[in-house]
Amino acid sequence: MAKSPPARLSALADYEVHHAGESGRLGGVAAGVTVQEVGALVLYQVAAWPESVATVGAQVAQHIGVAQAPGPRCVVEGNVAGERVALLRVEPLKWWVIGGDGSARLPTLSPAQGTTLDLSHARTHIRIAGPNARDLLNRLIPLDLRPPSFPTDRVATTMLHDLGITLWHSAPGFELFIPRGFARSIWENCIECGQQFGLEIG
Amino acid sequence: MTARRLATGGRIDRDRALSFRWDGKLCRGYHGDSLSAALLAHGETVIARSFKYHRPRGVMSSGVDEAGGLVTLGYGARRDANVNASTQELFDGLVARGQNAWPNVRADVGAINNLLSRFLAAGFYYKTFMGPRLLAKPFGTAMWMNYEKLIRRAAGMGRAARRPDADGYDQAHGYCDVLVVGGGPAGLQAALVAATAGRDVWLVEQDRELGGDWLSQPAAQEAERMQLVAAVKAAGVRIMTRTTAFGLYDGGVAGLVQRLTDHLACPAPHQPRQCFWTLRAGYTILATGALARPIAFGNNDRPMVMTIAAARTYLHRYGVLLGENIIIATNNDSAYTPAGELAQAGAKVTLLDARATVDAALMARVAAHEVSLHTRVAPLNARGRRVVTGVDLAVAETHGWRAHGMQPCDLLLVSGGWSPVVHLLSQRGVKPSWDAARACFIAPHELPNHLPITMAGAATALWQTDDCRSSGQVAGEVAIARGGSARSAMPAKSAAPATHGAGAPKNGGWARPILPLYEVRVTNPANERFHKSFVDPQHDVTTADIRLAQREGFTSVEHLKRYTTLGMGPDGGKVGNVIGLALMAEAVGSTIEQVGTTTFRPPYTPIALGALGGRHVGTQFKPLRRTPMHAWNLAHGATMTMAGLWHRPWYFARAGEDLAAAYCREATTVRARVGLCDVTSLGKIAIQGPDAATLIDRVYSNSFARLAVGKARYGIMLRDDGLVMDDGTAWRLGAHEYFMTTTTVHAASVMAWLEELLQTRWPDLKVHVTSVSEQWGGVALAGPLARAVLAECVANPAAVAHENLPFMGVADIELLNGLAARVARISFSGEMAYEIYVAADYATAMCDLLWHAVAARDGCLYGLEALGTLRIEKGHVTAAELDGRVSIDDAGLGRMASPRKAFIGSALRRRPELQRAERACLVGLKPKIRGQKFNAGAILCRADAISGLGEGWVTAVTHSPALGHWIGLGFIRGGATAWADVRVVAADPVRTAPIEVEIVSPHLVDPDGERMHG
Repeated sequence: MAKSPPARLSALADYEVHHAGESGRLGGVAAGVTVQEVGALVLYQVAAWPESVATVGAQVAQHIGVAQAPGPRCVVEGNVAGERVALLRVEPLKWWVIGGDGSARLPTLSPAQGTTLDLSHARTHIRIAGPNARDLLNRLIPLDLRPPSFPTDRVATTMLHDLGITLWHSAPGFELFIPRGFARSIWENCIECGQQFGLEIG
Repeated sequence: MTARRLATGGRIDRDRALSFRWDGKLCRGYHGDSLSAALLAHGETVIARSFKYHRPRGVMSSGVDEAGGLVTLGYGARRDANVNASTQELFDGLVARGQNAWPNVRADVGAINNLLSRFLAAGFYYKTFMGPRLLAKPFGTAMWMNYEKLIRRAAGMGRAARRPDADGYDQAHGYCDVLVVGGGPAGLQAALVAATAGRDVWLVEQDRELGGDWLSQPAAQEAERMQLVAAVKAAGVRIMTRTTAFGLYDGGVAGLVQRLTDHLACPAPHQPRQCFWTLRAGYTILATGALARPIAFGNNDRPMVMTIAAARTYLHRYGVLLGENIIIATNNDSAYTPAGELAQAGAKVTLLDARATVDAALMARVAAHEVSLHTRVAPLNARGRRVVTGVDLAVAETHGWRAHGMQPCDLLLVSGGWSPVVHLLSQRGVKPSWDAARACFIAPHELPNHLPITMAGAATALWQTDDCRSSGQVAGEVAIARGGSARSAMPAKSAAPATHGAGAPKNGGWARPILPLYEVRVTNPANERFHKSFVDPQHDVTTADIRLAQREGFTSVEHLKRYTTLGMGPDGGKVGNVIGLALMAEAVGSTIEQVGTTTFRPPYTPIALGALGGRHVGTQFKPLRRTPMHAWNLAHGATMTMAGLWHRPWYFARAGEDLAAAYCREATTVRARVGLCDVTSLGKIAIQGPDAATLIDRVYSNSFARLAVGKARYGIMLRDDGLVMDDGTAWRLGAHEYFMTTTTVHAASVMAWLEELLQTRWPDLKVHVTSVSEQWGGVALAGPLARAVLAECVANPAAVAHENLPFMGVADIELLNGLAARVARISFSGEMAYEIYVAADYATAMCDLLWHAVAARDGCLYGLEALGTLRIEKGHVTAAELDGRVSIDDAGLGRMASPRKAFIGSALRRRPELQRAERACLVGLKPKIRGQKFNAGAILCRADAISGLGEGWVTAVTHSPALGHWIGLGFIRGGATAWADVRVVAADPVRTAPIEVEIVSPHLVDPDGERMHG
């Protein structure tokens, strides 16, 4: 007799990183950066064809309740049944739908319109925030993160430790989507590098 | 020695006394001291021995151009050789030692080299150690082989730490509109102008403090400095002190090294030692200042011979008066102010000006401080064995110099003019031009329009502080006008080229012009041997070496540099280049302008190798890639190994087992019962879209057009050149959707290849390819009992019955624990086997479920080693065989290539070279004497002709539990049939004796695949 699936176990779950705490330059001083795993990622890719990109964008936008789908390198956030859903334009023909309860909220696309794909387990979602978040990231990522160049709700595909990752500048901080198999290694890198700023693990 | 700390003055904090050790001796200094200042104040004159001649050396400067005071700092893993004592900040507990000397720098036995110096001139090594090898020892190159170790020990610049670097290093990326290099009056002003106009400005200063030359000026100038620094801070400039712009590169990229802990007694635990910045600037202002230039004369390297600029710095910045009885030798105006200041501080000062006439106001200024002034006089030779005690003088005649008596002193200060720091600009390919009036190399007045760079301050040969500040103002305005925004690194076409120095004051701001004077000598050849006259003291390059190079034909500056080592190493041409060039010009009867200068190269000053490595060290050298079952595997006894970046289980040893015992047991168990193996690392690609079938059919060499939904097929991809790229499987999940698997090794390259094809060759195909390697955690379940295990673990056992899931069948199946699994009946091991994938976060749960059933049947977990055994027994190829040189026919898979369709590589696989019958083909290998073992990497040779590259090679070997002996795979010319009756050996001269092998079909176990289909 089938039962409900077991709980998800993230790439960082078996690691002591989840023991929240503080280290580095502290002692009364507020942490310069906080690093946390945002668990239970729900991530679907929606991909269109050159001639269907406008219509597919409109359909996705409608599904998450925003006026229009974001343009290249941009992000909009909507709301689906009380849950925040972000739409990231990660490639000219591709969006990532992050959050919500998954496929049911996706538009049904015919092959002529485009494709959808579940990538919820393919990435590990790490959030880096705090006053020194940008300082830490610029020790890891070769990207101009100054506000005029990379304002809130901008997304980029970039390199972290020779690895392709997706970076979204959200309201709370910077959201990193790391290929799952590398997540622990990258996490360790962030922790090690971040301690000089005073680090809080969320 | 009469250097002493004055009771007042200096920028040191006299309330913060520090103690440090020099050669084991406890010394004291103050916060704000440099190591050199503290040593001098302590009376330490000899603090180093020279590179080649082991001559006593002391502090020669007060900055990056220090050529004498190179010391070893720290100990153990933190021992750092060749540290510049003049720029090293003093901290409490600092430990420093003299280097390149035994037993110490004060009494060094290596000083005998100085007596042998006539045999050690430039080119000594080439002349002595380069020769035909056929000459018997101990001549020529053979001699070098014998003596290299001794010579390397004798000639050197300290010893590196032998232990791993104890410090961490960061690498960072920065972005700004305007980068200002140099925090002196010009740089500060330029930064202020650009920042006030709203530009995002970085100001980079190698010193710990901003101010440049102001820091070496009397306290009266402090107010102006502080005011400007405060304005710069208020304007929002990002100030980076203790940071050196060591290199300038294309596209406005500057390399910076920020020293974060080198000045600290106890760095914070997580503080990196240095940070290597890659800074991308829209516009760059080089306000890099100028370096004081010495003059060559006899024994000009004696301790307590140094530049006037240095003595001024020690006086005003560190409160140290270096001598009581000072002789100052100059050829320019810049010596007069310091001469007065030193006299005012209490020293007896004699000023020698090589020029005939001196500005009246300057004369009056020094006369007021009772400085005794002599014109047309210059130093000929410094006296004193270990420290200067007097100076032989020379007087100018119509042609040259004549010896003219001696004068005692305890400090000899020299100013031969100033050399603007044009290193960074030179690195960008701009040749500095010689300015005869100011006797220095400067940047061309118009820089190439494509370079978003301008120069300011003393770096443009302006010698007065006010002029420098004004030029900084102009440079800042140029930066604003020419863009200076990070996103417009290329200036607008219409913009005027950056100019500087326009309207510059005459003589660079001096009342009288400089007298070009690079060397003082009298024409007496005996003089040179005993009175060595140094051009580049750091490398022991003398004026005689320059002339020798000219006599031997090395007249080009580039040859001169390499022949004599002039300006190499940490010096980087700072001290001696101009003198060397002047002497060469004189020797060849030319001008400095015609001789030209060498190209300066990064780094401007030394940087720690660790900074270049950053955090790419140790376990973070490359990121580790872990499967979702990583911890599960470890908990179940896995020993891991690397497969690319992946960590994979190698074998699961049980009590008492080693690798060999473990993998043989695992392989045996799989063939006899059932085994479970983590195969997550296989590449997985989602291929979606109406044209997915077309793409698949074009990239695989075998036919995929009629692959039914719910079926998988093994496929081989070729490259354009007809050789094999990779093999894998494609599972048809729907009419428009495939799931492709690749080898672990080629996962990334196959993904990139598909993207490239879709983006460049076939943009008309409606297909999206997405890597889902990380989405799925996968296992192989293999062995005769595999189906029974799977049936027990799925919600509906009928779903895995043979008729519902036949060989190469694919199905989405719900596992007993509710997980949705993607299952294919595929075999790599040659047994009945399944690949089972679930979403990665559930992989551990899947393993728990399956392992319970496997263990109940006395099955096992197996790792990469057993996987290898099983596939070698079956003759299945991997990256070891598909190494980029192998055609599909070579691999014995030629019949898979479809003759009825075009595919990538279909044309070139038919080229004559790939069709030759005698190409090396895949074969199986067995030792003739079954008990023997042979190695992968061995060369296959005829037993009677073991030579050269042989007839083939061995790619993989294993002990086969199924056959009871060692077996292997390899390639041999013509394939197995060609060698049926010929004796062949696996020749392995480095490791073992030749082992005779049988060449057989690669399908060594179950050639008909009955077990797999069963």
